[in-house]
Amino acid sequence: MLELKGIYKWVNTGVNRTFILKDVDLSVKQGEFISIMGPSGSGKSTLLNVIGMLDDFNEGEYHFMHESVHKLKEKQRSALYKQYIGFVFQAYHLIDELTVYENIETPLIYQNIKTSERKAMVADILDRFQIVGKKDLFPTQLSGGQQQLVGIARALIAKPKLILADEPTGNLNSKQGEEIMDLFKEMNNEGVSIIQVTHSEKNAGYGTRIINLLDGMIAN
Amino acid sequence: MSIAACLLIALYIRDELRYDKNWADADRIYRITGEYKFDGKLETGADWPAPMAKALKTDFPEVENSGRLMPHPLFYCAGSNQVRRTDEEQNTFEEGFTYADQSMLDILQVPMIYGDRKNALAEPNTIVISKSKADKYFPNQNPVGKTMILNNDKDRIYKIGGVMKDFPSTSHIRYNFLLTMTGYQLWDNEQTTWDASNYYTYVLLKPGTNAAEFQNKLKLILQKYYVDRMKKAGDPQADDIAKNARLLVQPIAHVHLYSADIDDSLEKGDIRFVWLFGAVAAFILVIACINFINLSTAKSANRAKEVGLRKVVGSHRRGLVQQFLTESIMFSVLSFILGLLIAVLLLPYFNTLAAKSLTIPWTAWWLLPLMIGSAIAVGVMAGLYPSFYLSAFKPINVLKGQLSRGSKNSILRNGLVVFQFTTSIILIIGTLVIYKQTHYMLNKKVGFDKDQVLLIEGTNTLDSKLEAFKNDLLKSSEIKSVSIGDYLPIAGMKRDGNTFHKEGKLKEDIGVFTQKWQVDYDYLKTMGMHMIEGRYFSKEMASDSEATVINQSMAKKLGFTNPIGQRIENGWQKFTVIGVIEDFNFESMRQEVTPLCLVLSKYNSTIVSVKISGADTKQAISYASNVWKGFSPNQPFRYTFLDESFANMYANVKRTGNIFSSFAILAIIIACLGLFALSAFMAEQRNKEIGIRKVLGASVSSITAMLSKDFVKLVIVSIIIASPIAYWAMTKWLQDFAYRIPISWWMVAIAGLSAIVIALLTISFQSIKAALMNPVKTLRAE
Repeated sequence: MLELKGIYKWVNTGVNRTFILKDVDLSVKQGEFISIMGPSGSGKSTLLNVIGMLDDFNEGEYHFMHESVHKLKEKQRSALYKQYIGFVFQAYHLIDELTVYENIETPLIYQNIKTSERKAMVADILDRFQIVGKKDLFPTQLSGGQQQLVGIARALIAKPKLILADEPTGNLNSKQGEEIMDLFKEMNNEGVSIIQVTHSEKNAGYGTRIINLLDGMIAN
Repeated sequence: MSIAACLLIALYIRDELRYDKNWADADRIYRITGEYKFDGKLETGADWPAPMAKALKTDFPEVENSGRLMPHPLFYCAGSNQVRRTDEEQNTFEEGFTYADQSMLDILQVPMIYGDRKNALAEPNTIVISKSKADKYFPNQNPVGKTMILNNDKDRIYKIGGVMKDFPSTSHIRYNFLLTMTGYQLWDNEQTTWDASNYYTYVLLKPGTNAAEFQNKLKLILQKYYVDRMKKAGDPQADDIAKNARLLVQPIAHVHLYSADIDDSLEKGDIRFVWLFGAVAAFILVIACINFINLSTAKSANRAKEVGLRKVVGSHRRGLVQQFLTESIMFSVLSFILGLLIAVLLLPYFNTLAAKSLTIPWTAWWLLPLMIGSAIAVGVMAGLYPSFYLSAFKPINVLKGQLSRGSKNSILRNGLVVFQFTTSIILIIGTLVIYKQTHYMLNKKVGFDKDQVLLIEGTNTLDSKLEAFKNDLLKSSEIKSVSIGDYLPIAGMKRDGNTFHKEGKLKEDIGVFTQKWQVDYDYLKTMGMHMIEGRYFSKEMASDSEATVINQSMAKKLGFTNPIGQRIENGWQKFTVIGVIEDFNFESMRQEVTPLCLVLSKYNSTIVSVKISGADTKQAISYASNVWKGFSPNQPFRYTFLDESFANMYANVKRTGNIFSSFAILAIIIACLGLFALSAFMAEQRNKEIGIRKVLGASVSSITAMLSKDFVKLVIVSIIIASPIAYWAMTKWLQDFAYRIPISWWMVAIAGLSAIVIALLTISFQSIKAALMNPVKTLRAE
């Protein structure tokens, strides 16, 4: 479903050029569950952001669902990722001012889905994640695990083909972490592709493939 | 900017409050004013009969001295004149003439340059001139004893009795030429009659006199000189006067600011404006401070790390508060310097706006300490909250990147924006209404044709040649008609108030107060007025010398259904009504058209009105100028246009409009700065949320719209608050005008729309900036 070819990303610091990503080639098929691993500063998050089209790259080609991302304009890219990609973050990144229900609903609003339809979709997912009773609470009233659950629900609500998760269990204790990983596995079984960044070998074990990153290069 | 505005307003207020405090005995000098409830209306005035001053002094032991001024241009030589030295030929037009008593010099203790104050005006035909006029006519010499001629009148040569220092600009008494009243009367027995009121009358009370008690005793004057005398004469108005009239004393220092409602034809200030301006200045300063607070708390994110680090390395909170306070005081001092600079630059503009000649008192000893003191005070005021807010950051949270998040819907912050925009919208509506009213007044059909009428001034020196001058003017094809006469339908021109009765009803009816204007045969034609009924004066009718043409309101007031042929009298003259003229506005449109009658008269008019065809105005003027040179080679040709003089009547309305629009612009700028600060603050606070929303697929436009929506709501609230206030205030203002425009909804709509547009433009900068930010950056900090 996506293919990166010779991706370079760098920053210029004075005369020196520091590479963040260096000649990254990666192709992901529909239904894969990939774990990106590597030490701090190896470019894992950047790679994930590039895949998620949140970050630019300086060189290389990126094809996503038969589109050449490197040739697209900002607006088209945004339209592309909001249709196909869901994001899950380490710090959950829920909107504090909105209730659980509203948080989950937000991506649908940006896809111009009708109110009645939105209601049904949000109700579905609340039901599935068994958080119906919490729908009127605010994120600060929830535990970390529950917040991440909401985060995943939000990522899934628009029925994406791909979930990008940046250390989804990084802020959770091991039991909560396990629950979240089980959830990912379940989603993967339903056909959603997943790419996660993780430090934990155990979590990486949930995936179908592990990519090791070192100093911006794939080290396999 | 705000500080500049405050400085200017402070200067203005200082100037207004200084009025008439300069006189040596200012606390003992009073002006006599009066009020009279007549016909349900409260009439006020400051003009009194000639003998009143003397009566006050002889009848009341409290009165140390009393004096009079008579500057009304109705009377010969008062107001303005053609002036020359006796030994020169060339006449110059001068204004600022008043008749004055010697005792006025004593009461005011007018500082003299030359001559002895004690008897400068004591002899008949003496004149006291100001220093600047002395320098103009008698440069580098002592002119006392020299003579001057007014209006070529060789029968009354004025001898200079003294030169006084120019009256300060901060006095309601500002004349350049004081003509003595000694041995002079305006007409026979004028100095003893209580029937005509033309004198501003002042008293100097003995030290220790209670002014309120003295005011109570003034009833005696009313009783003795008005009521008793009127009863004897059988005047039906006597009882009414006894019941409803009152004499008042007004401290001289109050004349400028506290007589807005006294009908005394002086140029005055208004204490309400002083308060208004003061309030505006205070508001501006407070709002500027709050904006500063908003902006600095908004920028706190950038400083949070600094605070955290400083705390980690051992800085105490007190030290931090001190640091931030010092910073804000530095800012404040800097803005005071900038403000002063802007104030200096804007001062000339402000002076024309407020019709003042203010200067910054650079040399005053208190200026520097005051400025520094206020700069520090403002700095502390503005810096206190942010410094405590910033220094309260917990280092751990800050260094971890978790910003302390202030409440987003703070009532204070939103309230401030609403307040600022409410003010702006009110001012915008006010500006619109004032401009519309000005436009209306300048273009309303006034009952005469004010266009293409040239007014040649200073014609009284032509004397017997006036008629010949008129005939020569008429020889040009550019000139349609010429009328000799001072009574023009423009405020400030010559007026003559009379009380008219139906013939024979002098002692039965309360008369109709009427303007009696002396005109010539060509007045109607030159002014383009319209007859409703009957006919205008005609040279063929010899009996017209005892005829009158009255206006519609007079016909109505006298109760004539068929006015033609009716007889009227004013106590010493009787006239037959031969025609009714359409009502025309001859005073400002603040007033209803009042009764008026025209009578034929030939006299030495200072103005000749010339109706020109308008085909070639330049040609017409140069022709008139040439004719003038032939008749009066020693006097410059001076003219204005009737429509210009007409527009001048509304100069003060225009000025109010300008002040309003300036305030409106200022308010908008300040409101925008405030909004800018607030939107920066909001964008900062919602940084993370914006990032998340972008990741979730929000477009730049939807985020901009989201951020702007809240502010637009605030502006709409402002519109809702502002509209009724503005409507109420402007309705009140318009009530001053007998002829006025209605306030229409589109004015509110325009004001509201422009406020929204301005607000949107202001916020858009911040919100678009926030919306364009790369979400990766805002979400990274974890």
